[in-house]
Amino acid sequence: MNQVIVHPERCVGCMQCMAACATAHSRTRQLFSAIRETPLPRSRIHLGTGLYAEGFPNRCRHCNPAPCMLACLPGAIHRDMQTETVYVDPDRCINCASCAMACPFGVIRYHEDASAPPKKAVAIKCDNCMERQQQERVPACVEVCKSGALTFEDNSKALKRKTDQVAQSISAGIDVPQGSPSFTLLNTIKRAQIAVRHAAV
Amino acid sequence: MSCTYHQQTITEDGQLLLKKAQTDQIETVWDRHQAQLPQCGYCELGLSCRNCIMGPCRVDPFGEGPQQGVCGADADIIVARNLCRMIAAGAASHSDHGRDLVEVLANVAKGQAQGYAIRDPEKLKKVAAEYGVETLGKDILVIAGELAFAMQEDFGTRITELTLLKRAPAKRREIWKNVGITPRGIDRETSEMMHRTHMGVDNGWQSLLLQGLRNALSDGWGGSLIASEVSDILFGTPSPKPTNVNAGVLKKDQVNIVVHGHNPVVSEMILMASQSSELIQLAESKGATGINLAGVCCTGNELLMRHGIPMAGNHLMTELILSTGAVEMMIVDYQCIMPSLGKVASCYHTRMISTSDKARFPGMEHREFHPENAEELAKALVQEAIQNFDNRSRIYLPVEPVKAIGGFSVESIVGALGGSVAPLLDAIKAGKIRGAAGIVGCNNPKILHDYGHVTLARRLIENDILVVDTGCAAIATAKAGFKMPDAIQFAGPGLKDVCGALGIPPVLHLGSCVDNVRILMLAGALANALNADISDLPIAGGAPEWYSEKAVSIAAYFVASGVYTVLGPMPPIAGSLNVVKLLTEGLRDVVGAVFAVEPDPEKSAILIRRHIEERRKALGLGFHTL
Repeated sequence: MNQVIVHPERCVGCMQCMAACATAHSRTRQLFSAIRETPLPRSRIHLGTGLYAEGFPNRCRHCNPAPCMLACLPGAIHRDMQTETVYVDPDRCINCASCAMACPFGVIRYHEDASAPPKKAVAIKCDNCMERQQQERVPACVEVCKSGALTFEDNSKALKRKTDQVAQSISAGIDVPQGSPSFTLLNTIKRAQIAVRHAAV
Repeated sequence: MSCTYHQQTITEDGQLLLKKAQTDQIETVWDRHQAQLPQCGYCELGLSCRNCIMGPCRVDPFGEGPQQGVCGADADIIVARNLCRMIAAGAASHSDHGRDLVEVLANVAKGQAQGYAIRDPEKLKKVAAEYGVETLGKDILVIAGELAFAMQEDFGTRITELTLLKRAPAKRREIWKNVGITPRGIDRETSEMMHRTHMGVDNGWQSLLLQGLRNALSDGWGGSLIASEVSDILFGTPSPKPTNVNAGVLKKDQVNIVVHGHNPVVSEMILMASQSSELIQLAESKGATGINLAGVCCTGNELLMRHGIPMAGNHLMTELILSTGAVEMMIVDYQCIMPSLGKVASCYHTRMISTSDKARFPGMEHREFHPENAEELAKALVQEAIQNFDNRSRIYLPVEPVKAIGGFSVESIVGALGGSVAPLLDAIKAGKIRGAAGIVGCNNPKILHDYGHVTLARRLIENDILVVDTGCAAIATAKAGFKMPDAIQFAGPGLKDVCGALGIPPVLHLGSCVDNVRILMLAGALANALNADISDLPIAGGAPEWYSEKAVSIAAYFVASGVYTVLGPMPPIAGSLNVVKLLTEGLRDVVGAVFAVEPDPEKSAILIRRHIEERRKALGLGFHTL
């Protein structure tokens, strides 16, 4: 089964996943009109900032067992067995924040949403873009990610790729280029900049 | 908001005012930088392109996603085009500033610029002669008119080579000619740069970058140079003067007016008005003991250089200066004026005035200056500032000012040396002074405020390297106390001797950011005296805290003129290792100098010392191997 996989070493911090996610969960599904909607659509994927100002796309892991689901008293959170996706039912949600407290990753937010009853703030989280998947489209965040930090594939395929990478990196005597020399150069400079500040202070 | 003020700035006034700003709930440039993190990696790498709307496009640095824009431009082309557009914007800014001064010069000649005058007729005649304007027996205003006209030709298309290029050493002009980067017209090069970066024009990343260098040269030997020379003609050539720096220059018992921006056309008029006895009396009638004019950024540097007007702070201090609550009026012209200032001022009684027909800001009142109304409008504004003194509530001036000496022009340096650069060359030849370095550029919230400038300057003078600086860098080292003759205590023994004998500081304030051309002219004069090229000299440049497009143009004209230049922050070029390699290595064979990027100012100092020793060796002077 395909799922969204995060490759943090490839995140360049452009935030296009956030804009695409918000658009995909808007009423109109179009960026130009989505930014004029009320309530304003919001992203379910959240870009964090690392110690060296590097980006990290933080999204729901659809855990199993899911702490949010266990914490939800009205039973508004359930799992779709086929897709392993954890959903919030906005009609049942009582906006109590228990799920957000239970979530180890901080990916559940509270706000009004096109999917919820008007004027009601509800728990909002990643739904794996099920609507898009039913149309045989990949999740919005994956579609716009051009640096390969978000992929939609079978977990075993991604792990095999990673395993091969590790194996190649220890191949004796052969220097296999890893990642992007450009991005490595940029990050080296950024790290040095921050290290200089820390050393100076 | 962060409470770690010492992680934001090394300055005491900055740290204390950051605390004040936080108490007053003022959002600063540091807060906004934090809110932007993480910044877009495509843009940081220079791999995003918005030049046409088949796009916008970006190239995946990991090689799996798109490797070309819709038009087919690859990473090399996109990075080169983006960098070149930064140069064009920087060159355009300096050159437009220069054009405005030439316009005032032309208006003075026509008698249509009340309050302005030719304050340095000798320099007028000298520059006019360079432009082929006959000066003998001619009225000064006629010369001014003809010079203004000749300079306007430099901006156009009808000449094939900028007039003041002849100040450059013959060897340098030969290099430019052979490489094909002799700048023709000031606006022409900027215009051609924009043309070449349009979709479907120049798609050779090397030829793009060469035009980038030519465009930068049209700034350094054209727009900025004209700006600096005409400023001297209109307002006087700087000579050393004592002054004070940091937020402590604001006075608790006086009407404080702060000028901000770059062009002395407005600030000089404000200065004249603030010295009028009638207005000083008005200020006294309001309970103030006088009118205190201070500067921030480069328009402040222009006044500091010519009149010893005190300097309240550099780029990152501009919001914090307002948070003292002690500024009755801030008057801005253009460049580097953060659009946030109006909002900051709204928390205090400070009145914010914008003055340029080409620069408007939210939360500022627009009072447009033109040569014909400048004198009158300046008086009106100073009067309104005085009236605002009554509205002052609690103020906070946390520090005492630091003393400094500013106002070193090429003319005044040569004067101090007894009429020629020979004594300076002798000191360099003897090894008492190893060489000279220019520290230039801005502040940047990515860099601990002033740490880059101050650390680099300290290490260089310790190494017997004479430092000349401009712009925000010059303000940083002044605040750190390096611009007093007694700062020779921080210098190495040789530099200490030489500066001690001349009674000058080891770090010389050469002016605003257009005044980087003074450094260029000094380098040219040294090379000419040695019958050498600029790239042969034991000199270097550093921009440890740069942020602006103007700084890109400055760095590029320094390198294209043969000066090794070390940048602190990385320009957006890492997306193309070909471009990186050309700029940091390849250019050595093209123009005899390269860029380096080094975020640590301690290490930048080593790079500069090493370069200087290599040049000494090549010149047959005594050298050390590092």
